[in-house]
Amino acid sequence: MPDNIPLEKIDDYRWRIPKSYKPGMRVPGLIYASEKLLESIYKDKALEQVANVAFLPGIVRHSLAMPDIHWGYGFPIGGVAATDIDEGGVISPGGVGFDINCGVRLVKTNLEYDEVKDKIEDLINRLFSDVPAGVGAEGNIKVGTKEEKQILLKGARWAVENGFGTEDDLECTEENGAIPGADPEMVSERAFKRGRAQSGTLGSGNHFLEVQVIDQLYDREACATLGLNLGQVMVMIHSGSRGFGYQICEDYARKMVEGLAKYKINVPDRQLACAPVNSSEGKAYLGAMRCAANYAWANRQCLMHLTRQAFEKVFGLSWQKLGMFLIYDVAHNIAKIERHNVDGVKKNLCVHRKGATRAFGPGDLAIPERYRKIGQPVIIPGDMGRNSYLLVGTQRAMQETFGSCCHGAGRLMSRTASAKSTSADILLKELRSKGIIVKASGRKTVVEEAPSAYKDVNAVVDVVANAGIGKRVCRMRPLGVVKG
Amino acid sequence: MAHFLTCLKNPMKNYQVLEHTADIGIRVKSLSLAGLFKNAGLALTELSAEKQKNQYPEKHKIVIMQKADNVEELFVNWLNELLSVSAAEALIFADIKINQINEQFVDAIAIGTDSRNYKTNVEIKAATYHQLKVQKTGFYWQAEVIFDV
Repeated sequence: MPDNIPLEKIDDYRWRIPKSYKPGMRVPGLIYASEKLLESIYKDKALEQVANVAFLPGIVRHSLAMPDIHWGYGFPIGGVAATDIDEGGVISPGGVGFDINCGVRLVKTNLEYDEVKDKIEDLINRLFSDVPAGVGAEGNIKVGTKEEKQILLKGARWAVENGFGTEDDLECTEENGAIPGADPEMVSERAFKRGRAQSGTLGSGNHFLEVQVIDQLYDREACATLGLNLGQVMVMIHSGSRGFGYQICEDYARKMVEGLAKYKINVPDRQLACAPVNSSEGKAYLGAMRCAANYAWANRQCLMHLTRQAFEKVFGLSWQKLGMFLIYDVAHNIAKIERHNVDGVKKNLCVHRKGATRAFGPGDLAIPERYRKIGQPVIIPGDMGRNSYLLVGTQRAMQETFGSCCHGAGRLMSRTASAKSTSADILLKELRSKGIIVKASGRKTVVEEAPSAYKDVNAVVDVVANAGIGKRVCRMRPLGVVKG
Repeated sequence: MAHFLTCLKNPMKNYQVLEHTADIGIRVKSLSLAGLFKNAGLALTELSAEKQKNQYPEKHKIVIMQKADNVEELFVNWLNELLSVSAAEALIFADIKINQINEQFVDAIAIGTDSRNYKTNVEIKAATYHQLKVQKTGFYWQAEVIFDV
């Protein structure tokens, strides 16, 4: 372990980087991890990045890191930072990332494992053929130039209005699938061009579509509210804003690097470049970022529509009869303006979640009424060989993490190291022997995304559950995976 | 130094991959700033795409002009412009001609063909400023950059 980052143990799941670690840190760092997970966290530069985020003007309380934290660029992946807007708090495109509103949605079915196990290969083949995936994949859902701006303003509602879903889906999507304040005028022509033809596409890398089965229940009351049972088949979709979001991040990261001197902002990494939320640059980025967020919600809505159609073809029943209703859709790369209690005072904050999920506790009005008693559903995908989880947010998360939780397992191994550690043939055979069918556009992606490249999601979820910032509802295991 | 000599002897491998937990980094070297920018630009193609056919042989020449306050930001702007144009125009660049370059300005022509001629292995979203280094050391230029993939 490097000894230059002093970590103070608060309890078994909380560790502090003191403000004194680096001159310029405005707040301490707070890391949620077990001692065992810290061993891997120490191996890369993520903790240094937690300290760097603490330099952001206006940051309140802590620079936070979830247990799936790993080395990113600027912010760590798994980082949360909130800035006080009324005290010159900043917004940083690097605190959101290139894949704006990368996120995940979980769809239930009324199918049981026994009804699917003999059809899983057909189902995965059908999903692979009907849901465009892979780099440069073009979507089947074509959008006219005039409609592009409607997507940016209406998000998932645009998809529903065009027949790709229902009002019910919108109610079960963070921000109802469209964050207000999107401003298409703040989006470059290049971003439009880069995103064109990618609506309804999954993308590549760690993006996936997975058929899963619930193998463990933890909270029977929450399961009853959500209509979930042991052995029930689920579908998880992980995708983002594709090239459209990448270009918006690039456009504004560049502007903010150029503007650091204007606002006399000193950050130790240019990828943390930022501007006050209330500045012209900050407002412009927020307007553009919200367009990308809405584009991503429209995209995941379209992907779910294509998924429902694929199930209809394989099982010969309508998606309604198959009970394919959306549980929830969450963003895990986003900046949101939210009101939170900071040391007893309600404040307007800009909450950056970079590889972190909103996890509002029971009673919050931002949660759909149907879930308000149990808390906001929080979807935690794992790797393709182990588990994924459904959690709900807690009051403790509201008090400690601005209502935030982890977003996945978190990488452990670089892509090149992972690719060297196994071959696609061996890995696919191993997964098949566990009853997991994988179809991927690229064999390279398969080895880069091998389960061994990730932390054990079970260990990550143990930390958030034991720390009280997320409550386990149920666990799923994969049956079949479509990778980009 | 050994790597640099390897690069000089084997122009097909003009970069070195740097380990990063989630993303990919590269180190590039060249005797000239023009060579550095060209090598880094071509590394983008080599990292992400594999030519499989020449069904769409028409060559497209795209003018890439970028400016910045310093050579590091110019380097990131250059790579991001190549990525952006490549994605927006669905082209893969197999050759680059640098017309004019200094530490604040680059004027080049990127020459590519339809991306459908290639199998794309990795989607590079962008070049980042994180741990970015572009410097002249002794008689050669060296750059390190991390890509979001």
